[in-house]
Amino acid sequence: MEYLRLALKNLLRRKTRTLLTLVGIGVAIAVLYSLLEFQQGYEQGLNAEINQLGAHIMVVPKGCPYEAATIVLHGGKWPRYMEESYFDKIAATPGVSQAAPILMDAMINPATKDNKIFLGITEAYGTLRPKWTIQGTSFSTLEAREVILGTSIAEKLRLKPGDTFHLRQDAAGRAAGKDDADMKVVGVLERTGSQDDGFIFMPLHTLQSIFKLPGKIVVVLVQAEKIDGASMEQTTQALRELGGNMNIFPLSELLNNASQLMQVTKVFVLAIVLVAIAIGAVGVLNTILMAVFERTKEIGMMKAIGASPKDIFALIWTETILICTAGGLFGIGVAVAGSRGIEWFLRQAMASQFSQLPETTLIGISPGVILLCVGLSVGLGVLAGFYPAWRASAVKPIEAIRGAN
Amino acid sequence: MTEPAFDVQLSLVAEAAGMGKIYRRGAEEIHALREISVAFAPGEFTCVLGPSGAGKTTLLNLLGVMDVPTSGALRVAGTTIADAGRVRLAEGGRDRLRRENIGFIFTEFFLLPTLTAVENVQLPLLWAEKDDHSYAVELLERVGLGHRLTHRPTEMSGGEMQRVAIARALINRPRLLLADEPTGNVDTKTRDGIFDLFRELNADGLTIVLATHDGELAARIDRVIHLREGRIVEGA
Ligand SMILES: Nc1ncnc2c1ncn2[C@@H]1O[C@H](COP(=O)(O)OP(=O)(O)OP(=O)(O)O)[C@@H](O)[C@H]1O
Ligand SMILES: [Mg+2]
Repeated sequence: MEYLRLALKNLLRRKTRTLLTLVGIGVAIAVLYSLLEFQQGYEQGLNAEINQLGAHIMVVPKGCPYEAATIVLHGGKWPRYMEESYFDKIAATPGVSQAAPILMDAMINPATKDNKIFLGITEAYGTLRPKWTIQGTSFSTLEAREVILGTSIAEKLRLKPGDTFHLRQDAAGRAAGKDDADMKVVGVLERTGSQDDGFIFMPLHTLQSIFKLPGKIVVVLVQAEKIDGASMEQTTQALRELGGNMNIFPLSELLNNASQLMQVTKVFVLAIVLVAIAIGAVGVLNTILMAVFERTKEIGMMKAIGASPKDIFALIWTETILICTAGGLFGIGVAVAGSRGIEWFLRQAMASQFSQLPETTLIGISPGVILLCVGLSVGLGVLAGFYPAWRASAVKPIEAIRGAN
Repeated sequence: MTEPAFDVQLSLVAEAAGMGKIYRRGAEEIHALREISVAFAPGEFTCVLGPSGAGKTTLLNLLGVMDVPTSGALRVAGTTIADAGRVRLAEGGRDRLRRENIGFIFTEFFLLPTLTAVENVQLPLLWAEKDDHSYAVELLERVGLGHRLTHRPTEMSGGEMQRVAIARALINRPRLLLADEPTGNVDTKTRDGIFDLFRELNADGLTIVLATHDGELAARIDRVIHLREGRIVEGA
């Protein structure tokens, strides 16, 4: 017989009560686990996207910087344009190794709310994304009236290289209007895990003429020669001096801003979770305290037959830690088992708030988060068990036993 | 029976000299014991007899160092607990002394309902940080429950539960067994069976102090101390 077994048997005496307490802790820990995982998944997704941009500086016409950032990262309708001639000045700026002009526009089907996002690009776009693989072709060989599709959109439209693509098409894939000249799908981009999976790429000039935006671009992605702090500062400054009412964003800063935004929400949601955990802790405290009161005589007897206050303290403490740890493990188990469902729910719930969430897995399974949650459950038991254990250790055996007669 | 004898000490197992116990409840003082002078030699079987409220439980609690006297002196198992009304052994020391030297038996058996007979007997070992399953089994056999090892208290009669409690009291090989009204909850036939067991244990050398108000039972015990209103009126 050991402590642990005795503590376990004591807990099993009141199965329903123990189970309810355990579930209470479990729910709190499950919420915490999901939240931490989401936080981590979101940040990683954001990071991956910025890395995949392959660009270090972004030049956009003045407007709300966050709006601009979100649009570039997640797609959407562009509010302002810049002239293509301005791009030449950027490309010629010292410190700039590569610059890629991009025009972005979208079409939405009012009935299905499905949208198609088009990216007009030049061969420079390919050099910003050296790691990308495209089945069938490359950005540099893309010709007028040819498109490259992201994986997701290709799957959605059920198109493969060689197929014909119509700008507007009906459910059967036929041209919906007479001005929808045929375009040819020449390649499908291999899955990148970023928003690019949902984009339709075509040559800049093709997009300009289709959308009747001759000579217009919305953003220029710049690859700097050197990306250390001082060089970046210099290049950014040189770009600013070009004037033209442009916003120059070093992308590292952009990420910081985005994660700062996350930090604020994190603090808020964490506060809610902590309240949930506090309620769980009070529940455990109540359960164990009740058990201690019910077992006063028994505790008196244990002391009479040789248990010291320390022994009793340890026993009750073990019981509390046991129930909290079990509750935590249960909660983590539930969260892991239900992570797909929780992710789906979060995506649905957050779709309207965030223009688009990263396509990578948001709620994964990471040892760090599991360990943290287990640690917190144990810590909860350590805290919640202290008072009941102390009360139990202070039971006076003679009084407890006399109360029985 | 030639069971191994329980430790027999040459010195007295317990000794009280002018010992008193006053319970205080607010301004009220209850003199539960007054001027108790009594000694218990190894191997003795003593009965503390008295009506309800005489102070029997109080005396056993003091002898078992569950409580401390308010006056006089007390020595248990060669250790001074109190002297001239002052406590000489701190609580931790008393816990240890009790664990190592005293076995307690109560009217209500106080077995843990979730544990089997043998687990209940082993319970005190948990605090003593040792484990001796075979000795627990041996003791259960000794009290006549060799066939009930894995039964839980709810599956046993009152007499059987008290036998388990006796085995539990013996697991730490105590020098002194204190039984407070051990047969208060069982019928006369079961009482006699348990009494016979005490007899056997005493015959093996165990020192026993049994408190009761059952005169019939007391009549069968060699040494009887009559307690009345906190005083020994006969038999010290
Ligand atoms: N904790 C206490 N506080 C106050 N008075 C107490 C306390 N414990 C016992 N007493 C009183 O001390 C006296 C002796 O009590 P004790 O329990 O020792 O008697 P007893 O002989 O064991 O009686 P019974 O046969 O009913 O068990 C009684 O008057 C009792 O009311
Ligand atoms: Mg009594």
